[in-house]
Amino acid sequence: MQAPGPASPPSAAHVGRLRQEQGKVVTSCQEKIQHWKKVENDYEALQERLNTLPDKLSYDIMVPFGPLAFMPGRLVRTNEVTVLLGDNWFSKCSAKQAIGLVEHRKKHVRKALDDLQKVMKNFESRIEFTEDLQKMSEAAGDIVDIREETEHDGTETKGKRRTAHKPHSKPKVSDVFEVHFQENGADAKSKGYSQSEEELWARLEELERQEEMLDELDRTPNTVEANGEDTASSEEEKEVKTDLDVEDSTTQDNLKKEVTNSELFGDQVNGSNHYHSDDEDDLGVGNHSVPTIFFSHTVEPKRVRINTGKNTTLKFSEKKEEAKRKRKNSHGNGHLAPELPNIKTPADIYRVFVDVVNGEYVPRKSILKSRSRENSVCSDTSESSAAEFDDRRGVLRSVSYDEATYSDNSEGILEEEEEEGQEHLPKKLSTLSGTFEAFSGTVIEKEPLSPLIPHLSISHPVLPTIPERKSEEILSEASEETTKRISKFKAARMQQTL
Amino acid sequence: MAELIQKKLQGELEKYQQLQKDLSKSMAARQKLEAQLTENNIVKEELGLLDATNTIYKLIGPVLVKQDMEEAKATVSKRLDYISGEIKRYELQMQECERKSEQQREVLARLQQEYQRAQARVAKA
Repeated sequence: MQAPGPASPPSAAHVGRLRQEQGKVVTSCQEKIQHWKKVENDYEALQERLNTLPDKLSYDIMVPFGPLAFMPGRLVRTNEVTVLLGDNWFSKCSAKQAIGLVEHRKKHVRKALDDLQKVMKNFESRIEFTEDLQKMSEAAGDIVDIREETEHDGTETKGKRRTAHKPHSKPKVSDVFEVHFQENGADAKSKGYSQSEEELWARLEELERQEEMLDELDRTPNTVEANGEDTASSEEEKEVKTDLDVEDSTTQDNLKKEVTNSELFGDQVNGSNHYHSDDEDDLGVGNHSVPTIFFSHTVEPKRVRINTGKNTTLKFSEKKEEAKRKRKNSHGNGHLAPELPNIKTPADIYRVFVDVVNGEYVPRKSILKSRSRENSVCSDTSESSAAEFDDRRGVLRSVSYDEATYSDNSEGILEEEEEEGQEHLPKKLSTLSGTFEAFSGTVIEKEPLSPLIPHLSISHPVLPTIPERKSEEILSEASEETTKRISKFKAARMQQTL
Repeated sequence: MAELIQKKLQGELEKYQQLQKDLSKSMAARQKLEAQLTENNIVKEELGLLDATNTIYKLIGPVLVKQDMEEAKATVSKRLDYISGEIKRYELQMQECERKSEQQREVLARLQQEYQRAQARVAKA
C-alpha cells in the first residue's frame, strides 16, 4: 500500500488507491472468516453425527453408488471410525476418540477465526482513517488543514546567531551609516531632527529591523527586497542613526545584536515584513481545497519598558510614539518601520541603546547588571539567570496580568507586549522579547486577556525577557505599593509627568 | 548512442524480471511448506491424543498401510524437521534473490538515467 506524500497534501489518487487496497484486505479477511465459519459448522455437525452413531449397532441406509445412484445398505461397525489425521495419515478410533479429535481440530479453526477477526478490525479502522483523509483532501468545509511553516528557531536560543564581534565590523557598519548620512543629509536638515531621544528610538528600531533582515539574508534568499525596502524607507532614521553612531560608545554588544536578531527574525515571515503586525495567523487556502490556516511566527516587537527614572526623560516615550506613528503612517501595509537603527554588530547595539543623561549620551551598562536597570531605557535588564526563567515566567504571567489591569498610562508598554504576545501564538513569544524595539512611546492599555495568559510562556532567551524582568521588578516593588499595584515604572513616569 | 543504451536497458530489465520470477517461485514454495508444517503439527498433536489400541494407517497411493504408533510418531517428527529445514533453505534462497534483484534495480536505474541523458542530447542536436 502506498502512503501519501508526506509534505504535500495527500493527493486524491494516492488516498484513493490506499483506500482501495485496504478495502481489498478487508474483503479478503471477510471471505476467509466465512470459510472458517463454514468449516466450524461442519465440524459441529460431524460431532453430532459421531455422538449419535454408536447408539445403534447397525443402520439401514441408502448407500451412494457412484455420483448418481444410491443403494440400500447397512452401516455396521458403528463405533469404528477411520480418521484422517492429515498428511496421508489415518487412524482407527472409536467414536468417542473421533469426537475428541474433532474437538481438537475445532480449536485450530477457532484460533484462525480470531486472528482473521483481529486483522479485519485493524483494517477497518485504517479504512476509516483513510476515508477521513480522503474527505479532507477532496473538499471539506469544516475540516481545516492547519499548517505551520516554522522558521528557523535560531532566535529562540541565546545568542545563536550572534556573530563574533570582529574588530573590523565596526567600520563596516559605520560605512553604512555614513553612506546613508550622505544620502539623506539634506533630509536630515529639512526634517529638523536633532539629537534627541526620538531619534534614538527610531534608530534603534531601524537597526533592529535591519539586523533581522540581515539575519534573514543569511538564511533565505528573499530578504533582498526587504532590505532594499528598509533602506529605502528608513532615510530619516538612518541619518539619525548616523548621528547617534558617531557619538555612541560600544559596550552593549549583546543587547543590540539580540534585539536586532529577533527583530529581523520577526520581520521576515512569509516574505512580508510585519513589523507591527499583531496577528500573525494567515488564513489562506492552500493548493488543495481544504481551507488551510498558515501559521507563521513573527516576532512581535517587544515594547521595551522605559524606566523613566530621574535621568531618563519622557522624551523616550514621545520619540518612540512619534516614530511609531510615523511608521504606521508611512507604511500602512506593515512594512518595516524606518526608525530601526542599522545594527550590524553587537557594538552597534551599544551605540544605539544609549541613555540620554543630562543631555549627553551615556552608554548603558550591561543589561545583565542589575544597576543598569535603573538608568536604562529598557527594563529588561535583570541579574537573574536564565535558570530562573521559568519561574519568573510563571510569575510574569500573573504579574503581567495584574499589571495590565492596573496600569493606565504609559506603563502599558509591557502590557502591550504581553497582550500582543498573548494574541500571538505561543511560539512567537520566543522571539518576542528578543525583538527589542525601542520603546516607541506608545503606551497602549489593553484589557487583560486572562485566557491568553498561559500562552505567555516562552520568552526570547537572548535577552532576559523584559516581561520577566518587569515582573521581577514589579514583584520587588509590590511591597511598596500598598493601595494600588502600580509598577515602579509607572509610578516613576507618573511622577515625572506630574 | 541512445539505441545502445536502450538495448542494454532491455537486457537488464529482462534479467530483473527473471529474478523477480525466481523470487516469487521461492515465495510460493515456502508458503506451501508452511502449510505442510502446520498440518504435520496437527497430526503430531492428534497422534498424541490417541493411545496404542488404535491402529494407524498410512495412505501410500491407493493403499492404506498399517503402521505402528511409535513408528508413525517418529515418521511425523522426522517429516516436521525436514519441512523446517526446507523452509530455512527457501528463506535463504529468497534473500539471495532479493539482494540480486536489488542490485539489478540499481543497474536499471543507472541505465535509465544514462538513456535519458542520451535522449536529451539527441533532442538537443
